[in-house]
Amino acid sequence: MAQGKSRLDLLQGTLDLLILRALRADAMHGWAISERIQQISRDVLQVNQGSLYPALHRLEHRGWIKAEWGISELGRRARFYSLTTSGRKQLEIEFENWNTLTDAIARVLRMA
Amino acid sequence: MWRWKDAFLRLRALLFRREMDEELQAELQSHLEMQARKNLSAGLTPQEARRQARLQFGGFESAKEECRDARGVNFVETLSRDLRYAFRGFRRTPGFTAVALLALMLGIGSNTAIFSVVYAVLLAPLPYPNPDQLVMVWSKVNGHRNSVSAGDYLDWKRQSTVFQDVGAWSGGNFNLSVSAHPEVVRGRINSPGLLNMQGIRFFMGRDFLPEEGELGKEHVVVMTHKLWSERFGSNPHIVGQQIRLNGESYTVVGVLAAGMADRFESQLVVPLAFKPEQLTHDRHWLLVMGRLKPGVTLQQANAEMDSVTRHIAEIYPASNKAWSASVESLHHDFTGQDTIKGLWLLMGAVGFVLLIACVNVANMLLARGTVRQKEVAIRASLGAKRSQLFTQFLTESLALALIGGILGVSLAWAMLKAILAILPPFSIPTEADVRLNLPVLFFSLAAMFLAGVLCGCAPAWQSSRWDLSNSLKESGRSSLTPGRRGFRRSLIVIEFALALTLLSGAGLALRSFWKMTRVDLGFRQDHVLTFALSVPTTRFSGPEQTVAFYRQLLDKIQALPGVSYASASTGMPVLGTDFGMSFSIAGQPAGDPSSRPGAGFTMVTPEYFDTFGIEIVRGRSFTEQDVAGALPVAIVNETFARKYLSNVDPLMQRVLVQRLVPGATSLGPPIEWQVVGVYRDVHNAGVRREGFPEINVPFWQSPWPDAAIEVRTSGHPASMTGSVAAVVQSVDPDLGIDRVRTMDELVEESLGGDRFATVFLATFAGMALLLAAIGIYGVMSFAVAQRTHEMGLRIALGAGRAQVLRLILQEGVSLAILGLFVGLCGTYFVGRLMKSLLYEVGATDPATIGAVTTVLLASALLASCLPAHRATQVDPMVVLRNE
Repeated sequence: MAQGKSRLDLLQGTLDLLILRALRADAMHGWAISERIQQISRDVLQVNQGSLYPALHRLEHRGWIKAEWGISELGRRARFYSLTTSGRKQLEIEFENWNTLTDAIARVLRMA
Repeated sequence: MWRWKDAFLRLRALLFRREMDEELQAELQSHLEMQARKNLSAGLTPQEARRQARLQFGGFESAKEECRDARGVNFVETLSRDLRYAFRGFRRTPGFTAVALLALMLGIGSNTAIFSVVYAVLLAPLPYPNPDQLVMVWSKVNGHRNSVSAGDYLDWKRQSTVFQDVGAWSGGNFNLSVSAHPEVVRGRINSPGLLNMQGIRFFMGRDFLPEEGELGKEHVVVMTHKLWSERFGSNPHIVGQQIRLNGESYTVVGVLAAGMADRFESQLVVPLAFKPEQLTHDRHWLLVMGRLKPGVTLQQANAEMDSVTRHIAEIYPASNKAWSASVESLHHDFTGQDTIKGLWLLMGAVGFVLLIACVNVANMLLARGTVRQKEVAIRASLGAKRSQLFTQFLTESLALALIGGILGVSLAWAMLKAILAILPPFSIPTEADVRLNLPVLFFSLAAMFLAGVLCGCAPAWQSSRWDLSNSLKESGRSSLTPGRRGFRRSLIVIEFALALTLLSGAGLALRSFWKMTRVDLGFRQDHVLTFALSVPTTRFSGPEQTVAFYRQLLDKIQALPGVSYASASTGMPVLGTDFGMSFSIAGQPAGDPSSRPGAGFTMVTPEYFDTFGIEIVRGRSFTEQDVAGALPVAIVNETFARKYLSNVDPLMQRVLVQRLVPGATSLGPPIEWQVVGVYRDVHNAGVRREGFPEINVPFWQSPWPDAAIEVRTSGHPASMTGSVAAVVQSVDPDLGIDRVRTMDELVEESLGGDRFATVFLATFAGMALLLAAIGIYGVMSFAVAQRTHEMGLRIALGAGRAQVLRLILQEGVSLAILGLFVGLCGTYFVGRLMKSLLYEVGATDPATIGAVTTVLLASALLASCLPAHRATQVDPMVVLRNE
């Protein structure tokens, strides 16, 4: 575990974006999603697992991801999530939004 | 598309709740396993790996809960779970549940019952098509509304443009002969088309045609469904048939629809056909109703009627100077200010009852919440959020309110029966249909919701903010912090303040009613039977026939065994004088006719004063010598003598009053009546009213066809009804006797409105008292239970039983006293509000307020006694050993 590095709490709403992004390539179960986000962010982003599953269920309820029971790499039953078509579209929208937002914030910070 | 899918998902989640819960459990479980395996590979022991996985995950149960929330059906689930939980709680504490339900039932039930009357009388739209267009058009003089003259009515109808239609009516009595015995039926004389304009529906037949409003064609009649079924056996072929009214033949043209019209006092309608001599502008005898054209406002109508009446006044200055008109909405036009005020007063009273009930239940819930402190703490430590606990408690109180409310609606149903039974006849508008209808039920539902929130909020708030660790750390004995106890105490104070306010209102009403029943009415009301004869003006050709008829009738009645006196009169005590006449005193300067004083004017036969036991304080009574041709004589009442004859010898005066001529539309020449006596004041216009100047003259000198008959009997007066009716029949088979009442009944009836308000105010105040007593009992028993330990210690340290008793009683009574002080302010305002409804009782009557305060204080003392006694029974050994 990366004890020395500081960890950032996720901004409200960014968890959805990260989940959608993590699922872009292939289907994953919840634990793998949290691991993936943690790995790619080099342990900067820590996904609170207590909020991961509610987020997954919320996204499923909105129809952006769908879930299927499958067998995990360890041979156990696990629930695999994958993007739906509308989820793909949503990812693009949220990605755009995120870029616009970070650009804007960056501009403000530079000017100040 | 999305909506459908959403609904589908929700439905699936709802129907397969268990399966989905299992799936969720499995999913999270697999997550934990994967995490544990990772931890294991990082070198931890299997046990530690699992523990860390669990810790990393965080709140497992709350995550599950949030997942359920995310699925969107959690509201229903939570509700049903909370409800199940609540009901389990209710079953566990049946005593608490019963008392809480009783309180809510009384509160919501009385509100529902009274609101159904308020709604029907004051709020519901009139049951006619486009009721907002219906208006009454009154004549107005000196700022007072007045009935309308035939000339004015016809001119208004011709000259106004704001109305779709205008109609007029007048009341009348009819002798209806169906069987051998004619009976008197009240009826209306309507201008043709009035029923249609108003929108009153017909069961069969039709309204009058325009030509049936012409003389000679007006012998047609419309009757109510009630009269049709009661008197004509629901004869389906009645339209077109002839019936006998006042000895003449009328053709039935219509029967009104059952329902609303059956509540009218008038049971039949005949057309209004003006005789030429009735077409004057100075005799005001008609009621006028109009239907405004769509879009015309009351202001526009009033403005137009102003110019119309100004125009009429220019043409007929003698009769119409100073007269204008006033257009008023039909709604509430016939509901008295006192009725409206009384109804809102009752509504306020039941509002208080509901408030007290809510405070009571809130208090019990608070007490219960304190006991449940540990349970709540455990649930909170298992991950229940504050908002969830809050919802749980609110669900409980709402469920209580809902059940209490359903019980309350059944109570209201029973109360309504009682209300309708003792509501004096015709005291509310005939349009008012008092029953539990949809708007009333909506109101009850709102009341239930309000009650649920009111009594649930405080306990819910309290229970959801307990300090977790403190509650868990404490031993089994839960303690109250001073602040929390203070809150419950202030609820008791509020409860007593509300109760005192309501109780003092009821006390004032009771005292006022008690005074009314003890008023010296100025006559003897026992052993008197009265009835009215409705003699058509056409029956007698002149005063001699009238005198002959009444002499024969009275002689025959007087000859009956058991009759001491029989008299005839126009007007009677309590029912009022039929005529009000302006007069002047001979020898004193007579002013302008319009500014002359007025007095009640009654024609009576000599026995009148004996029949009613009215005392003659000066001079003499009438005798058989005071007949037509002899000196016209008069007896005045004390008020008249005091007001107008104070500086002179009354018996030396003559009063000038114009002659009353039966059947004529104007008064005859003035007559000088020699005052021969003064009689003691009588409450002629009802119990509340007195102090009007009155003049009585001999019936034989000024006979009138329509008279009331009074009979003083030696036995029970009502038992004479049959023989008296037989005498009337023998004198004239076409005459029915009407309004047969004993004088006791008449006095009783005249107090009906006051009795109604008083009975219900007292009932509601009784409820409030009961609830307040239950409230203080509950708080005190709870306080004693909570302080058992302290009491045990006190006793162990040498406190006597009496001291412990005093300690507890003191606490209860001091709460009550504090409440009473707050309540005194409320008492003041209630008294002010009720002032106009009270009879000879001040708004802050010290005796009444003293009495209700004592009653309330005594009940507080009583309610604290039981718990206090329990406190003295505490065995110190048991308590200390438990420590």
